[in-house]
Amino acid sequence: MAYSEKVIDHYSDPRNVGSLDKSDENVGTGLVGAPECGDVMKLQIQVDPETEEIVDAKFKTFGCGSAIASSSLATEWVKGKSIDDAMSIQNTEIVEELSLPPVKIHCSVLAEDAIKAAISDYKKRNKD
Amino acid sequence: MALEELSCQKCESLLISRLFCFSCDAFQPFPSEIDYFQAMGLPIGFEINYEDLEERYQRLSLVMHPDFFESASEADKHLSEKASVMLNTAYNTLRESTSRARYLLFLFAKGKNLNDKTLPEGLLKEMFFLQESLDELLESGDVSALSKMNEDLRGRYKDIESYYAPLFKKFEGSPEDSEILQQLQTHLNVERYLRRLLDRIPMND
Repeated sequence: MAYSEKVIDHYSDPRNVGSLDKSDENVGTGLVGAPECGDVMKLQIQVDPETEEIVDAKFKTFGCGSAIASSSLATEWVKGKSIDDAMSIQNTEIVEELSLPPVKIHCSVLAEDAIKAAISDYKKRNKD
Repeated sequence: MALEELSCQKCESLLISRLFCFSCDAFQPFPSEIDYFQAMGLPIGFEINYEDLEERYQRLSLVMHPDFFESASEADKHLSEKASVMLNTAYNTLRESTSRARYLLFLFAKGKNLNDKTLPEGLLKEMFFLQESLDELLESGDVSALSKMNEDLRGRYKDIESYYAPLFKKFEGSPEDSEILQQLQTHLNVERYLRRLLDRIPMND
């Protein structure tokens, strides 16, 4: 299967790879997996508690090119967004941007799930 | 062994495979719904005799292979291609225990509403941790630590494989119990994560 140019770009030059400090209360961590293929994806966001804006995002994905590209793109997209706006990112937007074929749609779902998991982790830790 | 109540549409002899009749040397009309067990002429179930499977595969490929139908009618040519593809897929799926278990679960789970994403508590975290550790080991080139990890993972993989047979047997005894299928699904999900790790270790090539 041929990867699209954008997938290859993100895959060969992934953005925002790495980790944020898990103990920082302004950091939310999402860890998700796809049992269809055994991919695991960790996506973290750093939130400014005053503005609820995502000021930084990092990811680490063990998976295929499409999964890496989807999460790399997801970190680019969430940066600078409010957590509410980031929450509304749809996997279909990722599919479109990266021209993912049907067999790789679950990679984009994984990235959407990772964003949502990171945000809900942040919210859970900052309930009060 | 013949398939239950399946006979050749031409000569009415009992069929060994739903694809071909050995008595009159004729292809059967290609079934609209056929499972891999029927293609091989085997009863649906996890337990399989590998020698028998191999023999059936050899025997069926010998009569159905497209090479023998180059001067045959268009219809038979077409059937030979279709049947051979089916036979190869069936053989490759059934000969390996994990793909056979996955396929059987797919057959049994139809209409049962299983959750196909279930994982044991904490497994995802552990798999992520193992992937990161594997990164480090691969980078450091520490062969003995790597082979230790490989052995551990292979051990766990074998454990997973050993759950298939007893669970399918249990399911045979109580085919209404979806919980057994759900357990199988969970094991097969874990299998994918372990496979992913094992595939990254060069000594498994």
